[in-house]
Amino acid sequence: MGFLAPWFLAGLAAVALPIWLHLLRQHKTAPLPFSSLMFFERRTDSAIKHRRLRYLLLFGLRTSLLVLLAFAFARPFVNSTTVASAGGGKLIVLAIDHSFSMRQADRLARAKADAEQALSSLRAEDRGEVLSFGSHVQLMGDPTSDSETLRAAIHSIRESDDRSSFAELARALRSLAQSARMPVEAHLFSDMQKTSLPSSFADLRLGERVKLVPHQIASQPIPNFAVENVLAPRRVYDPKKVRIQVTVSSYGGPAARRRVALMLNGREQSSKSVEMPAGERASVEFLGLDTPYGLNRGEVRIDSGDAFPADDHFFFSVERSDPRSILFVHDARDTRGLLYYRTALESSREAAFTLDVATPQQAADSTLRSHAFVVLSDVTIPPGLEQSLVSYVRAGGSLLIALGPDSAAGRRVPVTGAAIRGTRYAGREGNRFETVIWLDSSHPATRRTTSWDDVKFYQTAAVEPGNSRVLAKASDNSPLLIETHVGEGRVLVFTSSFDNISNDFPLHPGFVPFVEETAHDLGHLDDRPANFAVGSYLELHTAREPGAAIDVLDPRGARALTLAESTRAQNIQLSEQGFYEVHRANHHNELVAVNPDRRESDFSVVSPETLALWQNTGQGSAAAAGTGVSERKPLDFWWYVMLLVLVAAIAESLIGNWHLAVDKEAA
Amino acid sequence: MLQRFLDPATLAGLSGLDLVAKTVVNGFVSGLHRSPDYGFSQEFAEYRAYTPGDDLRHIDWNVFARTERAYLKRYRGETNTRLLVLLDTSASMNFGTAAVNKLDYARFVAASLCYLASEQRDAAGLIVFDEEVRNYVPPSSRQGQLFRLLHAIEKAEAGTRTDFTKPFAHFLNFVRPRGLVAVLSDFYEDPDVIIKTIEPLRFRGNDVILFHVLDPREIEPSFSDPVLLIDMENKGSVEVSPAYARHEYRRKIESHIAALGAKARAAGLDYFLLNTSRPLDEGLREYLAVRRGRL
Repeated sequence: MGFLAPWFLAGLAAVALPIWLHLLRQHKTAPLPFSSLMFFERRTDSAIKHRRLRYLLLFGLRTSLLVLLAFAFARPFVNSTTVASAGGGKLIVLAIDHSFSMRQADRLARAKADAEQALSSLRAEDRGEVLSFGSHVQLMGDPTSDSETLRAAIHSIRESDDRSSFAELARALRSLAQSARMPVEAHLFSDMQKTSLPSSFADLRLGERVKLVPHQIASQPIPNFAVENVLAPRRVYDPKKVRIQVTVSSYGGPAARRRVALMLNGREQSSKSVEMPAGERASVEFLGLDTPYGLNRGEVRIDSGDAFPADDHFFFSVERSDPRSILFVHDARDTRGLLYYRTALESSREAAFTLDVATPQQAADSTLRSHAFVVLSDVTIPPGLEQSLVSYVRAGGSLLIALGPDSAAGRRVPVTGAAIRGTRYAGREGNRFETVIWLDSSHPATRRTTSWDDVKFYQTAAVEPGNSRVLAKASDNSPLLIETHVGEGRVLVFTSSFDNISNDFPLHPGFVPFVEETAHDLGHLDDRPANFAVGSYLELHTAREPGAAIDVLDPRGARALTLAESTRAQNIQLSEQGFYEVHRANHHNELVAVNPDRRESDFSVVSPETLALWQNTGQGSAAAAGTGVSERKPLDFWWYVMLLVLVAAIAESLIGNWHLAVDKEAA
Repeated sequence: MLQRFLDPATLAGLSGLDLVAKTVVNGFVSGLHRSPDYGFSQEFAEYRAYTPGDDLRHIDWNVFARTERAYLKRYRGETNTRLLVLLDTSASMNFGTAAVNKLDYARFVAASLCYLASEQRDAAGLIVFDEEVRNYVPPSSRQGQLFRLLHAIEKAEAGTRTDFTKPFAHFLNFVRPRGLVAVLSDFYEDPDVIIKTIEPLRFRGNDVILFHVLDPREIEPSFSDPVLLIDMENKGSVEVSPAYARHEYRRKIESHIAALGAKARAAGLDYFLLNTSRPLDEGLREYLAVRRGRL
């Protein structure tokens, strides 16, 4: 017997009330002197005792009423033993690890053979279920007693590039035990990699009726060398500026010298030798990549000479393209702004942009759409150019405006139309200069520009930001950087100039990252990595292009999406290593390199103690082993206790009324 | 209006017993209608032939001169009697829930009787007792007797338990024949024992009045809760339920009062129940009624 809500038993303390009323309180009667007790015989005592007995009945009823009430709220239950399932069978689950590490030698084949052997323990009343697992669990069929069906399910399991997760397996076993309503005996066939364990041991919890039987395919770890990671640019504009960093790892391997080769489109570009310390990592850097225009398949290989060659190569994709142009519009007399902006742009990591310089009049005659974005550097623009800029921005173009003394005289910001309340100059009185007091580091244009603290602003335009987003503020609380959305495009307003006169920003280290990041942001350069891990998701449809058909070819060249999915799917899971080709509607193709999770390259096995602990999280070992399986179910009987409470309450009312009637007579 | 002064609560506020007694008696007498039976002036009553031993001072010498026969002249005032007040001062007499307790009430009655007797030229005496005779003032009509009595009454304090047998055996030595004996007690004893103890007084030609002094709560006790009662005399205790006090006890005390009254009257004794919540004139009226019978 137990209680489902035992904290309500604290209500038993209320029993103290009738005890005080009936037993303690009546003994506190003060003795009363009386002239003679001649007429109080011994029978008087018995009368009092008799009366006390009647009070004790009331006391007992009241006490039992409170006790029963507390019991009823505490939800008492008794365990009733019931037969768990008809026939007393069990569900035998054969869980086969099909992760990337099972590609080593014939591990998967041995796992399948062991699983087939385990089928021999299937009795007539038992049912079997085959599942394969990596980072997700896949059921290979419905539970059945047919050995042949189960055997076929085992044979249908294929190798994958996924990583194994014991936490996912444990969660699936818990769900199976809950839905099967019979004890579960789970046979696990795996190489038992330590890296498959979750960070929290609680995630391995098996549940009450699950018995885990591990079948370890490989008992000893094997030494392994692997290309752990490759850092390469996704886009290449200048092949000479390309830098590729390779990390090679040794998992339990001895100190060795390994050759690392950089391949592009199946052709070796260069190679290097690296000294590998025992069980450590080593880095190799390749400078320059002779990349043809278009999409290129990159690969880094090592000659590991180990027993697991599947992780000796690492894929990455590279797209060679020309840099895009930026239209820099300035007053011909003002060359300082151009000088600093050009220098900063050319100093950036990637030469993704070139600069086209024009005066306002020249810009009015040019085609704006051919430029990645437009920069207005402290110029007063003619109305025709402003009209062209408005159309350009509304169509999705981007504009960066620097407001120097000339442009601030216009009393409004071009294109956005934001009011300029005037120009603040630093003077001899008051503040000699303004500094930056706040920077929105969440915006792409400012997230790397953290060193604005020492920048001195001597002149700024006081712009009313309105509903626009302020990305930086000066010490007088006036906005320094404002982002405004106009139509489909954006306008970034810098309320000072780039000429090192209105401020000394161009001389500070933060200027180059600012120019680089604003160019990336306004030029719509995506910053996706050059490679993905197996199991990650690739975004296909964005809000800007709903319904556009996208074709995806997997590494084997097959279509990864159905026709319906090609127009609706928001993303696709990259489940195989290799190169995925993504063909979008605007003829913008992508090449996505996918590599297995390198945790699969570590063949360290789970210790027997950990396995034993994991097995102990399942409490159904004994139940699953037996034939006549019985189940203990709690039977809640609070309703019957409440009936007793009702009876006690009625009896208490009747006896209480009786005593009350006696008191009335006394009154 | 003077009846107000006979209320025990009013009398309890008076300082001395003499004043109490005077207030009671004067108030009581003022309330009476004049009656020849109750006069106490010294008017002539009868002549009686001289017998040897009579006081020569009472011989009517004028009659002797005319008839040469000696006659004694008797006055109504000389038809006096001898009053002996027996005051019980046992511990139970100290009980009281009314304005005065039983002992004080008995003191007032005793003092009033003595004062009344003194006014009527009766000889008055006092015996204070509990289980022993605690004080004795011999009956006398001499001057100053009243103050001796009042002083003895004043000094009477609650003592120990009541035992009629022992002191009454002793009374017989003090009580002279043909007197009037007033016993003031709560009579917590078996009625048979009381009557058998007091009865010998009656045999000696005395008129005996039993004043049964009881508190109203002794006659009709009422408790809302069970109580632990302590006997004031023997310190015994007993738990009493309200129901018992309401029913059983009342039946017993009423039976006791009835039995005592019946047995007293059967033995030729006068019995009168004095409720301490009642005015004192009822007790005095009883006394005078008995005394009138003796005239």
